[in-house]
Amino acid sequence: MVNAKWKIMVSLLALLLLLPAAAFAAEPFVTTEWLQANLPKVTVLDVRKVEEYNEGHIPGSINVFYGVWGIKKGVLMNELPSDDDLKDILSAAGIEPTTHVVVVSKGETMPFRTDATRVAWTLRYAGVENVSVLSGGIEKWIADKKPLSKDAVKPKAKPYRGKFNKQFFANKAHVTGALGKAVIVDVRPPEFYKGEKKLDFVPATGRIKGAVNLPPALLYNEDGTFKTKAAIEAAAKPVVGADLDKEIIVYCDTGKVCTNWWLALHDLLGYRNVKVYDGSSMEWLADPAAPKEP
Amino acid sequence: MVKRPSNDLALCGECHQEIAANYRKSLHYTTIGQRNRVIKRMSAEEAKIFDEKVFEKSCRSCHASCGDCHVKSPAIAGVSLGLINKHKFVRKDEGKTCAFCHGGRVYPEYTGEYGGNADVHYQKGMMCMDCHTMDELHGDGKAYQLKEEVRDRPRCTDCHEPGREVKLTARVGHLKHGGNASCYACHSAGEYRQCFNCHGGHSEAKPGFYIGTSPRNRREITTLRIIPTVRDTFKPNGIRQANFDALPNYWDAPIHNIRKRTERTRNCDTCHEDRKGFLTMETLLKDSSRVNLELIKKPKPIPVSP
Repeated sequence: MVNAKWKIMVSLLALLLLLPAAAFAAEPFVTTEWLQANLPKVTVLDVRKVEEYNEGHIPGSINVFYGVWGIKKGVLMNELPSDDDLKDILSAAGIEPTTHVVVVSKGETMPFRTDATRVAWTLRYAGVENVSVLSGGIEKWIADKKPLSKDAVKPKAKPYRGKFNKQFFANKAHVTGALGKAVIVDVRPPEFYKGEKKLDFVPATGRIKGAVNLPPALLYNEDGTFKTKAAIEAAAKPVVGADLDKEIIVYCDTGKVCTNWWLALHDLLGYRNVKVYDGSSMEWLADPAAPKEP
Repeated sequence: MVKRPSNDLALCGECHQEIAANYRKSLHYTTIGQRNRVIKRMSAEEAKIFDEKVFEKSCRSCHASCGDCHVKSPAIAGVSLGLINKHKFVRKDEGKTCAFCHGGRVYPEYTGEYGGNADVHYQKGMMCMDCHTMDELHGDGKAYQLKEEVRDRPRCTDCHEPGREVKLTARVGHLKHGGNASCYACHSAGEYRQCFNCHGGHSEAKPGFYIGTSPRNRREITTLRIIPTVRDTFKPNGIRQANFDALPNYWDAPIHNIRKRTERTRNCDTCHEDRKGFLTMETLLKDSSRVNLELIKKPKPIPVSP
């Protein structure tokens, strides 16, 4: 009898200890069906332009345009705002560390899809625990004939007091020090990884020396929705390995697109030490001394 | 069939009498402010030629009927972006009704798509008409000759009353700089579009950031935007601008990329030691108006107490 009581108490204690871990359990990619069913429980953050939001948005969603979250610093694009500015943005949006935020962007092209993943990563960096992205974006919501609203929602501002996850971020010095130790993942199409092509604003062709390639398209179905966890794992494992504690640094051209693989690796597949190199190719390839190949 | 019926103010005025009457005198419709500004560079003879050959045929040609804002974009340099919403009249849709004309500089700066930092007011969902009133756009019935004559224009202090700042540093900063520096001088987030050599055969646009003495309020420093008029802008029309040096090549400009914190609000040295962004002899446009020299301002270092 005493033993049974002890077992129950230990089980309850274990359950209590596991509760904080359960708070991190938000699925990074959610479907339109899931979102519709869970609308009252989450904060939907629409990152499209104000005028697009005003034309029709998911009922109850708030709007903070992408350009506020990913800013230009010098010549570098899609950079993090400073911590105090980021706190102001979150405070004005009424987002708290415990808020479950579902980020919605347009889903028709890769740059728009990754508006959502970049904002999701920024929220996670700022210490928001539960963040998801709507798979397929607003187009999928509309295609699935889900309701739209034209009533703009004014968020109730409250001071943001989250603890920043600085370990999700890598600067150039950190990447330099991690060469040969961490798995550096180039999240660009193969022709860019191979140095055959480059975007106009990227100073040179090539990749960070020793980088492996996980093209962004591997994450998506043809309609812009995310592939299943099993399919994503099957694409990732041969490239980054199975060691969940190994340091992984993802990068792309500007530091935006690679956030889709950050979410997949860290929040979906459970790799525990994944960083985004914010400066990405724009910064690395501008430095003739930075090791690159081919 | 009437071609472009919404070009006819009288027709729209049959129902919208007051708006049409006011609009007929408004700067948006007359664009007389542009004309009155630029002719100061010209002799009386040249001004006459300008009115006949340039103003009516060029500037006035796309400004701006009722339909140019409420149905379709006006043709600018022969290019129209088409209808706003099929063939329907649109009351307001600032991303189109305003941005069709103000989409080169102001609007993309406001959204952060030019320059890279969205204005804090756009972040909070505010659009043009949250600050700019209908009277400002349609006119208030007075035939103003210049934009500066209009009294009913938005001011930052309409919402942000000085003295009510939460932080002491902000209050002190505003007290120290009030009257000496415009809000934009400190709170413009960064680079904005500068156009060069308009109508000069080699026109181009690129980002830039300039602070200097306001040509319209010499006691104040502010953000400056380059005026793309160059000495030979009107040469093909036989106008050599006899008084070109009467006006500067930079105007004080209300840059719509406001942020609470900028490198200038974070660190006094940005202006007082580094003089970052301040117009200098070195950065001044070459072969530009001599009056530009009066816009160069050298901020003094902040005295250090012994």
